[in-house]
Amino acid sequence: MNPGLKLLLVMAIALEISFTQSLIVNVILIGVSFIYILFNRVTFKALIGLIFWPLFPALGLFVSQWLYGSAGIHFAWILFTRIYAYVFLGATFTLTSSITNLALTLEQDFRLPSKFAYGVLAAFNLMPKINEEVQIIKTSALMRGEALHFWSPKLYFKAILSSIQWSQNLAEAMTSHGFVEDQGRTHYRVIKITRMDWVWFIGLFGIVQVLLFFIRY
Amino acid sequence: MTDVLIDHFTYEYPGSTVKVLNDVDVTFKHNHFSLLTGPSGSGKSTLLYFIAGLYPHFIGNDALGGIKFGDTDIKQIPSNEISHSVAMMFQNPNQQFAMDTVIHELTFVLENMLVDPAKIDGIINHALDFCGIKQLRSRVINTLSGGEKQRVALACIVAMDPPVIVLDEPFASIDPDSRLDLIKKLKQLQVEHGKTIILADHDLNDYKGVIDEFYYLDPDTHHISLLDSQSAQHFFDNFKNTQTINKQVAIPTEAAPSIINIKDFKLQPHHSLLLKLGDFKFCKEKTTLITGANGIGKSTLFNALTKLLPYNGEIDFAGKNIQKIRPLPYAKNVTLLFQDAENQFLNITVKEELDLSLKNRTNQAYSIDDVQTMLKELSIDGRDDQVVYSLSEGQKKKLQIIEMLIMNPPVLLMDEPFKGLDYHSLEVVVGFLNRSKQEFHQTQIIISHQLSGLDTLIDYHANFADQNLTYQEVIK
Ligand SMILES: Nc1ncnc2c1ncn2[C@@H]1O[C@H](COP(=O)(O)OP(=O)(O)OP(=O)(O)O)[C@@H](O)[C@H]1O
Ligand SMILES: [Mg+2]
Repeated sequence: MNPGLKLLLVMAIALEISFTQSLIVNVILIGVSFIYILFNRVTFKALIGLIFWPLFPALGLFVSQWLYGSAGIHFAWILFTRIYAYVFLGATFTLTSSITNLALTLEQDFRLPSKFAYGVLAAFNLMPKINEEVQIIKTSALMRGEALHFWSPKLYFKAILSSIQWSQNLAEAMTSHGFVEDQGRTHYRVIKITRMDWVWFIGLFGIVQVLLFFIRY
Repeated sequence: MTDVLIDHFTYEYPGSTVKVLNDVDVTFKHNHFSLLTGPSGSGKSTLLYFIAGLYPHFIGNDALGGIKFGDTDIKQIPSNEISHSVAMMFQNPNQQFAMDTVIHELTFVLENMLVDPAKIDGIINHALDFCGIKQLRSRVINTLSGGEKQRVALACIVAMDPPVIVLDEPFASIDPDSRLDLIKKLKQLQVEHGKTIILADHDLNDYKGVIDEFYYLDPDTHHISLLDSQSAQHFFDNFKNTQTINKQVAIPTEAAPSIINIKDFKLQPHHSLLLKLGDFKFCKEKTTLITGANGIGKSTLFNALTKLLPYNGEIDFAGKNIQKIRPLPYAKNVTLLFQDAENQFLNITVKEELDLSLKNRTNQAYSIDDVQTMLKELSIDGRDDQVVYSLSEGQKKKLQIIEMLIMNPPVLLMDEPFKGLDYHSLEVVVGFLNRSKQEFHQTQIIISHQLSGLDTLIDYHANFADQNLTYQEVIK
């Protein structure tokens, strides 16, 4: 499915289940997402992570609602499954779509300014470097006679300085590679939103509406 | 014909009163390989950014005078066509790419240039082939070495195929073999493909017989002049003299007092063994030079000495196991000067940077006057309010060295401290280091490819080879 439409679908459904209260629909969404992810061959490790990490916030919500809430255990289960539904819905997007394709479709089909599409992409490609950078900043501060911890404002101050610096260099690099804002570009890989994409999008969205309408438990 | 004409070109940075370029009037000839040199901070990068069409767009204020490609004024070229006239390669290999993989970047470049999608594959294949990096095609750019990244940058330029190519110290952070290879590729682009090449560099190695014209940017007059073959030869000879060193040093005796001791030591950060030492010492209040091939593990050794990386065995500082010393007190005793100056900065302006060092230093060895004198001697005084990131590459290095000297730690580790410095500045820095050692009893350990000019500084020389570090009598 087209990554742009997929993102839209996932966000729309996630928004909807925030306002509705159906345990069964939550479970169905988790189940369907899970199967979809399995079919897309993700690593075992990523799968375990998906199940394990949300456990803490989900359990936390569950327990506090169950013990202290007034809406009872049914609502506690809804909250619990809602967290997992968010995570699994999100994963159907993040684990199976390439950010490059997303940028391409945002530019070509959703008609977003190319500056935005490629800006997002470039920022995303820089992400792994941020971890590294934080480590470097900590070390550098030590050498300058200061110990920075993860709560030190100075750490973030310098991290922001560095990213401003990066983005400036990046803008220069993109320009020198021929990129000009708001100018036409050719497209080596054309990404189209096909009729099938629309069928899936409307179909899946419709099914969720029907489920939410009929299944109130 | 695409002569690059610089016509009575005058420029000063916003908020500065110094004209970096003053009435520069030169012509870089069509289909020539021109080398531009000049001390650090003289304005080489500034000029190249203008030629590449990045300034004034990215800087804010315009220059007086003009730049022409043949008959066309650069200002007449619409912004979406400038890359059909000129392409630029930057000094820092890390920030030249917008996309994740090599193939995506090349495609991005060609799409920007409105190349017909049907032709893109062919052009990319040719560019990769020309640069000898077919095998890197699908690699993630972040995982490439500096030399490989610069080859990819060149491949992008080959794909863009503009008549003029400008390069700003493109080889500053790559190994000598890649350097030589890339220079040959550039020559080939000039000779076989009719390109006009303008390249700025301090390091004159490998250019003799390759370049056609030699330009010098005079830091006092802010003029650029074309040198005749005699003066050019003079520059090459001078440079050569600064490249050779043949010095005998002693090997530390048993009795020589040590400050850092390494025992039963093994360094294998990524599972492959880099260094194995039974018993090794660094001598107190001496300067030890460490040499060794690229990628052999010199910087990694520094990371172990500063407790940034795990290792097996024991390292003692002043008789105490460094694992038993807390990070901050240890860093105040054994301090590392990073290879990349920007990483050392924590503040915005030059003054804030210097103040930070003055505030956190543990002793008052250097007076405020000393600091001013040092800044002056390296001609970076009077820049209190300049943003550190806007300093020229060489100026960043100078500031970094001064601020670490002010801290005056008992042991100072320096990773390529002379990179990007012109020879005169190097001599001044060596003077500073000698003072620190003699007056303030500092121990210095230096990793450096640059050897000459260090004669008066070096006491011992340790060579890093075959997973071993051994003291040697000769430096060459
Ligand atoms: N954005 C800026 N604002 C103010 N001054 C600047 C800015 N950028 C550069 N300068 C100053 O202009 C001068 C020339 O800088 P430039 O980077 O062109 O020198 P360079 O010849 O390339 O030096 P190096 O060999 O050290 O790289 C330097 O004194 C520098 O501090
Ligand atoms: Mg420069």
